[in-house]
Amino acid sequence: MKLRRKSKAPAADPNVLLPPEGVPLRLEVAGIGARFAAQITDILLTVIGATALVILLAVMDLTSPQTLFAIVVMLFFIIRIPYYVLTELAWNGQTIGKRMMKIKVVSQDGLSLSAHAIVVRNLMKEAEIFLPATLLVTLDAASVGSSLIALGWIGGTLMVPLATPRRRRLGDMIAGSYVIDLPTPVLLKDLAQPVPRPVHARFTFLSHQLDHYGALELQTLEDLLRAQDNRPRGANAQQLVTLDSVIGKIRRKISFADPVAPADRVAFLRAFYNAQRAHLEQKQLFGERRQDKFHADKPPQD
Amino acid sequence: MEEQTDLFRSARFRKEREDDWIRLEALVAKAESHGLRRMSFGEARDLAALYREATTSLAIAREISLDKGLLLYLEALAARAYLSVYAPQESVRGVIARFLRKSGPEAIRRSWFFVLLGFLCLGLGGVAGYLLYLDDPAWFYVVMPPELAGGRGPNATTESLRSVIFQDDPNASGLGAFATFLFSNNTRIAIFAFGLGVFLCAPAIMLTFYNGLAIGAFVGLHVERGLGWDLFGWLSIHGVTELSAIGIASGGGLQLGAAILFPGQHTRGEALRIAGRDAAKLAIIAGLMLIAAAILEGYGRQLVQDTNMRLMIGWGVGAFWFWWFTQTGRERP
Repeated sequence: MKLRRKSKAPAADPNVLLPPEGVPLRLEVAGIGARFAAQITDILLTVIGATALVILLAVMDLTSPQTLFAIVVMLFFIIRIPYYVLTELAWNGQTIGKRMMKIKVVSQDGLSLSAHAIVVRNLMKEAEIFLPATLLVTLDAASVGSSLIALGWIGGTLMVPLATPRRRRLGDMIAGSYVIDLPTPVLLKDLAQPVPRPVHARFTFLSHQLDHYGALELQTLEDLLRAQDNRPRGANAQQLVTLDSVIGKIRRKISFADPVAPADRVAFLRAFYNAQRAHLEQKQLFGERRQDKFHADKPPQD
Repeated sequence: MEEQTDLFRSARFRKEREDDWIRLEALVAKAESHGLRRMSFGEARDLAALYREATTSLAIAREISLDKGLLLYLEALAARAYLSVYAPQESVRGVIARFLRKSGPEAIRRSWFFVLLGFLCLGLGGVAGYLLYLDDPAWFYVVMPPELAGGRGPNATTESLRSVIFQDDPNASGLGAFATFLFSNNTRIAIFAFGLGVFLCAPAIMLTFYNGLAIGAFVGLHVERGLGWDLFGWLSIHGVTELSAIGIASGGGLQLGAAILFPGQHTRGEALRIAGRDAAKLAIIAGLMLIAAAILEGYGRQLVQDTNMRLMIGWGVGAFWFWWFTQTGRERP
């Protein structure tokens, strides 16, 4: 008898979130390192803050020792779960540590993060972070058995986020949330600027010459040209060699017979970029996406 | 043919919309630093409208543009705007008020079965502990953690037992006792009964039952010495609240464990998520009750030395909890 398996749809990209507008957004899942750093920052900040407050109260000598003790207990209660719940509620899924590390909690269903989700993921923090951390501190070589159990627990809680595609803790799973890197929008200048007439007249590309490359090569050229823009004037010899070899390769590939004068290197590449992009975008508009230069080898898609 | 690039559909597309994107970027920055509440009506309206425009732009750009810089920018901008637009709209105060008025008691009513199970574990443990003690007082040392007994045991004199119940220590500070309570055994049991419930119920049941055992043996000791009624008062003033909290917390834990054991039509992960909605609320309610019990123990037990008075306060507070769970948040016809 054969074991039957449910036919699974191809796994969805963990980095894509579908908001109610129906346009999938790319939000990179935060790495373990950033989250660990944010957690450590939070713990350090809260413990140092609470300790400083206690020392201040003790030095000022305002209260009796017993009241001071009660305040200490309250403070160290608050910096556990309530601190995380309240900061994430107030700052839309960010604690102070998460703000510094530029990461954020989001809801997997694409809607707003609910108060319930925030409470649940932080309640589980007790079992998933504070308990293992305490165990780690109190590891005792003398009692092998309990140390092994403690190590097992620590390892288990660390394994869960590593094993899930969106790096989720158990708390995240119950809450239906996960943590993302905040993207930073940077609007770069459009490379496709009008080309001066004399240059344009000199470099004209024919349709068959533009049939060689695809989107990947175009965008690699875009990166090269943007890097060229960012450099100060007076390119060094190494860059000129690079440009020359790129130009040489392109000319050979598309059989562009006219030589390119050294002063026109960038102008040639820009003109080629414009023509190639116009050509590829035109093709794409009519339903033919060319991923890369091997597009001709692949059978046409249905 | 001077303006050759104007033939570009994607370049034109960008030129027409660029100003809106830049304005959206400014609005998003403002929403992130100041919060949506501080924004004017016009700004908030523009933020939502421009966000939807940006997602449309993104969808179009993915189809018509091969400009990598533009695509990356729009991706990041739309994502950033999405995070601002779909931010929780509720204030912290609103969340707390809604929880107290409606969602908290509703969760208790919905999961009455698990709460009942939690109380049953505690009650059965109590009966078992009581019977065990009557059978042989040596059981007391087995079920009662020594640091908790505080010198009270089968060997203690009746007089010393009475002095603990009616202690009249003028130096005792209410806050100090409050603090010791938060560290106390029962708080830890409530936390663990909830947190460990997810591991297939067993740890939660065992912990709750064990806690019941200890209380049962403790009661057995006092009843044997004829201090039963006084102990009842001493325990009632905070115990009604405290033990209910333990019952509710373990009920929440049991609910999580049951979701994993019997997921029904859902996958286990989904079942856990659904059960978590109520279980988390039970845990918060238990936490609130434990804090209330700490205040009762810190102040009430020192100030009120009369057994009848203690009974009235303890069960009065118990009645208040009962009223909160059963009566608030119901839809009135």
